[in-house]
Amino acid sequence: MSLRFHWMLPKGGEVALGAPQTARAAARYRIQSTHITSSAPRPDMKGWTHFAEQAEGAGIESVLISFSRYEPDPILVGCALGRATKKLKFIAAYRSGLMQPTTFVQQINSLSALIDGRIALNVVAGSSTEEQRGYGDYLPHDERYTRAEEFLAVCNAFWRDDGEVDFEGKYYRVERGMLHTPFLAPGRRAPEIYVSGHSENAERLAIAQGSCLLRVADSPDKLRPSVARIRQQGVEVCLRMCVLCRPSREEAIQVIESLLPERENPRHERSAAVKDDSQMYREASTLAGMGNHWLTRSLWAGLAPHYGPVWTTLLGTPEDIAEALLEFKAIGVTQFILSGWPELDEVVTFGQKIIHLVREAESREAKNPV
Amino acid sequence: MFPKGGEVAMKTAQETSRVLTTKTMSPAALPDMEGWLRFAKSAEEAGIESTLLSFSRYEPDTFSIACAVGRATTKLKFIAAYRTGLMQPATFVQQINTLSGLIDGRVALNIVAGSSTTEQRGYGDFLEHDERYARADEFLAICHSFWRRDGEVTFDGKYWRIEGGRLLTPFVAPDRPAPEIYVAGHSEQAQQLALRRGSCWMRLIDTPEKLQPLVGHFREHGVEVGLRLCVVCRPTREEAIEAARDLLPDEDIGKQERSILIRSDSQTLKQALATADDVGWLNQNLWAGLVPYYGSSAITLLGSPAELADIFLQYKRIGVSQFIISGWPKLDEMVIFGREVLPLVREAEGH
Repeated sequence: MSLRFHWMLPKGGEVALGAPQTARAAARYRIQSTHITSSAPRPDMKGWTHFAEQAEGAGIESVLISFSRYEPDPILVGCALGRATKKLKFIAAYRSGLMQPTTFVQQINSLSALIDGRIALNVVAGSSTEEQRGYGDYLPHDERYTRAEEFLAVCNAFWRDDGEVDFEGKYYRVERGMLHTPFLAPGRRAPEIYVSGHSENAERLAIAQGSCLLRVADSPDKLRPSVARIRQQGVEVCLRMCVLCRPSREEAIQVIESLLPERENPRHERSAAVKDDSQMYREASTLAGMGNHWLTRSLWAGLAPHYGPVWTTLLGTPEDIAEALLEFKAIGVTQFILSGWPELDEVVTFGQKIIHLVREAESREAKNPV
Repeated sequence: MFPKGGEVAMKTAQETSRVLTTKTMSPAALPDMEGWLRFAKSAEEAGIESTLLSFSRYEPDTFSIACAVGRATTKLKFIAAYRTGLMQPATFVQQINTLSGLIDGRVALNIVAGSSTTEQRGYGDFLEHDERYARADEFLAICHSFWRRDGEVTFDGKYWRIEGGRLLTPFVAPDRPAPEIYVAGHSEQAQQLALRRGSCWMRLIDTPEKLQPLVGHFREHGVEVGLRLCVVCRPTREEAIEAARDLLPDEDIGKQERSILIRSDSQTLKQALATADDVGWLNQNLWAGLVPYYGSSAITLLGSPAELADIFLQYKRIGVSQFIISGWPKLDEMVIFGREVLPLVREAEGH
C-alpha cells in the first residue's frame, strides 16, 4: 500500500496570494490565529480554493479542517470547498458532545452526497475544559472518551443501515432512529474515522470505533510497539507533523530555529500549548525540560514546548524527508497529515521534490519485496 | 418552499405527495443540485426573496443544502428550518455564522420546537411538546447572546448551561448582526416564543378577518407575521378551482397520507385538519380541501392573477408582511406567480 499524504487546511487569511511569505511570517500568523484581530475566524474561499488546487496538484489526498471556537465550522467549510473541487477529500474535525449523533450523521451524510463522498471525520473527544464549557460541555476528560465511544457507536449503527437505530447508553439515548439520506461514497458505506489523541483512552476508542489513530509524530523507535499493536487490530496509524524542506539540511535547521521565540513567549501565546487536560499537550510541555529536541536526525520537537505538539517538524533535504517518511512506513504507519511554513509553499515543494522520491522507493519495494 | 430532491422534475401533485417523499426509496432523501439550481435561478428571476428549506429525517440537512446552493447563487436567501434540542446552541451558532460568511449572509432560521414524538426520539430527544418550547426559548436566548457580541456568554438554564462561551467567527450579513428568526406554530407556546425571541411569527394562512386581531398583537410587539400557503393561479377563478381539484390524490394514497398526518402531535396540523373536515372553503378563494392529503401547509389560495394580487394586498392591510408559498409543481407555479401576480402587487404598492 502506498503512503497516504494529507495536509492541514490553512486558516482564513493564511494563504498569502500573490506575495511570497517567509516561514517566520507564517509562524507568526499561526501563533496569533486565536487572537480577536486574526482573520482565521473568517471563511476564505479565495485562499482555500487556491490552496486546494495546489494540494491536488501535489498529490495530497485530503485536507484536515480543524475545529475550535477560533475558526469557522469544518462541516460547512468542507461543503463549500468540496463543491469547488473535484478530487480533494476533507477530514472534518469534530468534537463529540456538541450534537446529537443522529443530527451529526444527517449532516455528514448530506455532505457526502453533495461532494461525492469526499469526507472523512476526525473525532476529537474534547479540548481544554475551558473551551468545552463554552460549548456547554461539562464532562471531565476521561468521561469524554466514554461518551465519544457511545457517540460513534450510534453513528456507526446508522451507517450500518440495517434497520432502525435503538441505543440506550449513559450519555445518549435514541429510539427508532432513522435517516433517509445515506452516506454516499464510491466503495464506502461510512466515512473513515480518525481518532486523535495520545492517551490510552484515545487508542481504545480508535480500535473500538475508528479506522485510524491520529497522533503527533515521534521517533520510529518509540512509536513501533504502539503502531504494531494498533495495526494488529486492523486500525491504521496517521502521524501529524510539520515539514520544512530546503536544499540543504543546514538551511532547514537555520529556518526552523528562526521560529523559536526571541524571549520566553507571553502567556497568551502559550495558551495553545497548555490545553490543561490533554495528554498530547502534557507530553509536549515535558519536552521543554529536555535539552535535546532531536527525536531523530530529521525530526525536531524544539518548537513543541512553546507552541504545542503539532509544531514537531520533519526537516532537511527532499531526500532526508523522503527517507524519514519511509522509515515510518517500515514500522507500519500508513498516513500523514502535514503542515508547513508557509502551508502553500511547503505543499508545492512537497509535490515537486518529495512525493516522487517516496513513490519511486515504494515501487522499488513492490518489485523487490524485502 | 424549496423543492425536495427530485421534485423539480416531477409534474404532478400526486407524485410529490408526502407519502411518496417519506418512502425509503424516495428521491427526497438525496440532494438534487441540478433541479435545485434550476429552481433557485428561476426563484431569483421571479422576484422571490428567500426559499424555506424544511427539516426532517426524510431529507438532507438544511445547512449543507443552503451552503451548496447558496455558493452557486448570488441573490436568493435561505430560511433553514432547524429543530432545537439537536445540538448545543454554541455549535449551532458556529454553524450558522460560518454559513453566513460563506453565502454573504443570505441565511435566516425557521426555528421549530419539534415534530412528532416518534421522530424526535429518533433524534435522541425525549422531551414532551410543551417542554420543547421552554427549551427552545433558552436555546434562542443563548444564540442571541452570542449574536450580541458583547462579551463571553454565560447561561445557566434548565436545559442548557454554558460558561465563558466565545466564538470568533461572526454572523456576517450586509445589514444584520444576527439572522432573522422565523418561529412557526399555532400553539400559545409558539406564539410566546415568537414574541420573545423571534423576528417573525410564521403560521398557516387563514381568512383576513380571523387573522386580523392576532396579526395586530404581533405587530404591536415589533414582530412580523408571515403566512404559509399554496397558490394556484390560472387566468380565471373557475380554471384555478379545476386545477386545484385535479391535485386530489388517488383514494389509496389519500388514506395513507391521512394516517401519517394523524400521528403528528403538532397543534398546527390538528387545527388545520379540523378546519378542512368541517368546511373545505374558508372563503371564496381559500380552499382547505387538499389539507387531509398534503398536510397543513396545503391551504390553497386560488384565483385569477388580479384576484390573488388583491388578496395579498388585503393581508398586507391587516399587517401581514411576508408569505411563504408553495405550488404544484413548485417551479411552474412560482414562474406563474412571478410573471402574473407579483407585478400587480408591486404596482399597487407603488413600485
